[in-house]
Amino acid sequence: MNAWHIALKDLRIFFKDRDVALQLFLLPLLFIFVYSGAISAITSGGQQDTRIQLPVVDLDAGPSAQTLLRELDEAGGVKVELHDEAEALPLLKEGKLGRVLTIPAGFTAGIAAGQQQVLRLVSHPDADPEKTEAVRLVVQGVVRDMSLEAQILASLQQMADMQADAPAAVREAFSIERLSAQARSQFERSQIEPLIRLVQKVPGQDVEREKDPDMSQASVPGFAVLFIFLTAQATARSIYDEKKVGSFRRLLAAPIAKLALLAGKILPNFLIALVQMAVILAFGVLGLRLLGMTPVPLGGDPLALLLAIVLIALCSSAFGLVIAALARTESQIGGLSAVVLWSMGMLGGSLIPVFMLDRLLGPVPKVIPHYWANRALTNVMLRGLRLADVTVELAALAAFAALFFVIGLLRFDFD
Amino acid sequence: MPAILEVENLVKKFGDFEAVKGASFTVEEGEVFGLLGPNGAGKTTTISMLTGILEPTSGTARIGGHDLRKEPDEIKKINGLVPQDLALYPTLSARTNVSFFGSIYGLRGKELKERVEDVLRIVALTDRADGVVEKFSGGMKRRVNIAAGLVHQPRLLFLDEPTVGVDPQSRNQIFESVLRLNRERGMTIIYTSHYMEEVEHLCNRVAIIDGGRIIAMDTIKNLINILGGGVIYFGVPRVDNALLQEMAGLGGVQEATLVPREPAPPPSPGQEVKAETQLAAGETIKIVARQSQQAVLNVINLLNERDLALTSLEILQPNLESVFLHLTGKKLRE
Repeated sequence: MNAWHIALKDLRIFFKDRDVALQLFLLPLLFIFVYSGAISAITSGGQQDTRIQLPVVDLDAGPSAQTLLRELDEAGGVKVELHDEAEALPLLKEGKLGRVLTIPAGFTAGIAAGQQQVLRLVSHPDADPEKTEAVRLVVQGVVRDMSLEAQILASLQQMADMQADAPAAVREAFSIERLSAQARSQFERSQIEPLIRLVQKVPGQDVEREKDPDMSQASVPGFAVLFIFLTAQATARSIYDEKKVGSFRRLLAAPIAKLALLAGKILPNFLIALVQMAVILAFGVLGLRLLGMTPVPLGGDPLALLLAIVLIALCSSAFGLVIAALARTESQIGGLSAVVLWSMGMLGGSLIPVFMLDRLLGPVPKVIPHYWANRALTNVMLRGLRLADVTVELAALAAFAALFFVIGLLRFDFD
Repeated sequence: MPAILEVENLVKKFGDFEAVKGASFTVEEGEVFGLLGPNGAGKTTTISMLTGILEPTSGTARIGGHDLRKEPDEIKKINGLVPQDLALYPTLSARTNVSFFGSIYGLRGKELKERVEDVLRIVALTDRADGVVEKFSGGMKRRVNIAAGLVHQPRLLFLDEPTVGVDPQSRNQIFESVLRLNRERGMTIIYTSHYMEEVEHLCNRVAIIDGGRIIAMDTIKNLINILGGGVIYFGVPRVDNALLQEMAGLGGVQEATLVPREPAPPPSPGQEVKAETQLAAGETIKIVARQSQQAVLNVINLLNERDLALTSLEILQPNLESVFLHLTGKKLRE
C-alpha cells in the first residue's frame, strides 16, 4: 500500500514536469513520424519497379497472347510494355530499347490448332546481355508452362475423340469439357501448390529467411522500445532527487519496508511505460493513417502483444533501478542514460530494424534487452506471430528484468 | 517520568572513521533534550541510528520499550523526524507534502485530513497550505518540514537543526511550535543544534557532543555551574607555576590554568620576525571564576605587584558556549 502512495506521489511530480512528459510522450511520436516518412519515401523510391523492361509487340491480340502477356508480367523479373511494331523496331535499332519480344499474328489460333508458335526476342547489340538472358529465361519459363497446358489439353481432346464410339454414359462421364476443366484446375493448383517446391538456400544459412517486414512500420515498435527504456532514467533521477533533498532519509525513517520503498519508486516508470506504449501504438495505428502513411498492424494475438508490452515495461523499470544503483551523481545519470540507453537502442534494433541487425552484427545484439523487445514486438505486430511463436523473446525479456532487479537490489545504496 | 529513550554505548563506523564513539544517554517522556555540538560532531549520525536510517555498528537503544535492532518498525511508528535538509517535494503544495508523509505512516481518509489541517495550524501555514513549496521562503519551507514530521503524532520527535537558514521571525515561530507541542501534547523532543542560545531556550537537559563522543550531559543550569562565575582570559608576557598557584588562591578565583599556546606558523623565507609579533606571542592564563568581578580585580592587582603588563583581557559570561569552550578548547561554531 505504501508503495502505491509513493508511486502516486511520484506520478504527481512527474506530470508537473511538462518537459519530461513531452519528452517521453511527444518525442517518440515525432521520431516515428519523421522516420516512417523518410523510410517510406526511400523505400517507395527503391520500389519504383526495378523489373527489367520488356517491350512487346503483340501482332495477335487474341486471348492466348493476352494470357502470355499477363503471365509474363506476373512471373516477376520483367515488366511488360506494349509497343506498336512501327514504333518499336526503330527504337530498337537506335538502341533506345534494349530488346523487343514479338508475338506473331495468329498466335491464339495456332495454339488452339496445336501448331507450334514462334515468339521472337530481338535484342540490340549493345543491350546488357545479362538482362537479355534474364528476360529469355522468364519468357521461356512462361512459354513452357503454357505449352504444357496446351499439350495436355490437346492430348485430352485426342482421348475424347478416341472415345467417340464408347457408350453414352461413358462419353458423358468423360466428356472433353469435364476433362479439360479438371486438367485446368489441376494445372492452376500445381502453380499455387506445386508438388515439388524449390527453396533457394545460401551456404552457411541454416534457416529459411523470414519475410522482412516493412521498414517504415518497423519504426513504430523500434521507437516504442527505445523510448520505453528511456523512461528508466526518470526512475533513476527520481531516486537521485529524493536522496538529494533528503526526503529519501525521511522515507527510510518511516515504517516502510525497503522493498516496498523501491517498488514505489519503480512503479511509476512501469505505469508510464504502459501509457507510453498505448500512446505510441494508437499513433501507429490511427495517427499514421491520418497522416496518410502506412499504419502499423497490431498482429493477431492481443495476449502476446500485452505480455510483450508488460515485460518490456518491467525490464525498463528494473533497468532504472540499476542506473539509480550505479550512478552517484546527476551527470552520471544523464551520461548513463544518454550513452547506454541510446547505444542499447541502436544495437538492439530500435533504430536499425532487427531483421537487418541479425545480418549485420550476428549474435552481438542478443545480449541487449532492446533486441528481444524489438523482436517480440516485430514478430507479434508485423509478422503476425502468436504467443507460442514468441516464447523465446518473452522468456529473454523476463530473464533480463529479473537480472536487472537482482543487480539493482544488490548494488542499491540505502545509506 | 519513565524513560522513552535509553541509548547504550551506540557506535557508528564508516570504514575506519568512527563517527559516534559509544554514546549513552537516557531521555524521559515529556522532556525536551538537546544535543549540542559543532558541525560534524556526530549529532545527525546519532539521530540517523535512532530513527532507523542507519544501522549501528555496535551498541543498542530502546525507544518506548522497543529494541532498536529487533523491532525497528515499532520504533519507526513512535518516532517522528524533522531532518536537517528540507526533505520535501518542491513542486507539490504544502498540504500535498504533509498529506503524503501522513499516508506513509498509515493515516487515511478523514483522520489524515484532520491531522494535516492540525499540523498546518501548529506551524501557522493554514492560509498558505495550497501554495507550492518551491515558492515559499526559507522559513516557511522549514515550517512545512516540521509539519511533515509531526503529522502522524509521534511520541518522540527528532528535530535535527530545524532553524538552519531561517529568519528570526520564523525561528521564533518554530520555537513556539516546539514548546507548544511539548507542553500541550506531551511530545518528547530531541533537539540538535550548534546554536547554544536555542538549546538554552528550549531544552531541559543537554548532552554536549564533540568528535563523536558525549563529553558532558546534565541540566543547563548544572552545566553552566561548571564555570561558576564565568571564564576570564588574561594575556601576559610570561608566566610561571608559582604565579598560577598564587592566582588560584585569590578571592573569587576557582581555577587558574595556562592555555596551551598554538604553534606559530614558521616565517616565510626572507620574512623578518618583528618585535610586536614577539611581544604578542606571550602567554594566556585561563581563570575559572567563582565571582568574575572580584576575580578580575584581584588578578590585575597581582600582575601589577609582579610588574607584569596585561596584554589582553577577555571575560566570558557563563553559558553553554563558554562551557563548550571550557570543555573542548574550541568554539561551537569553529
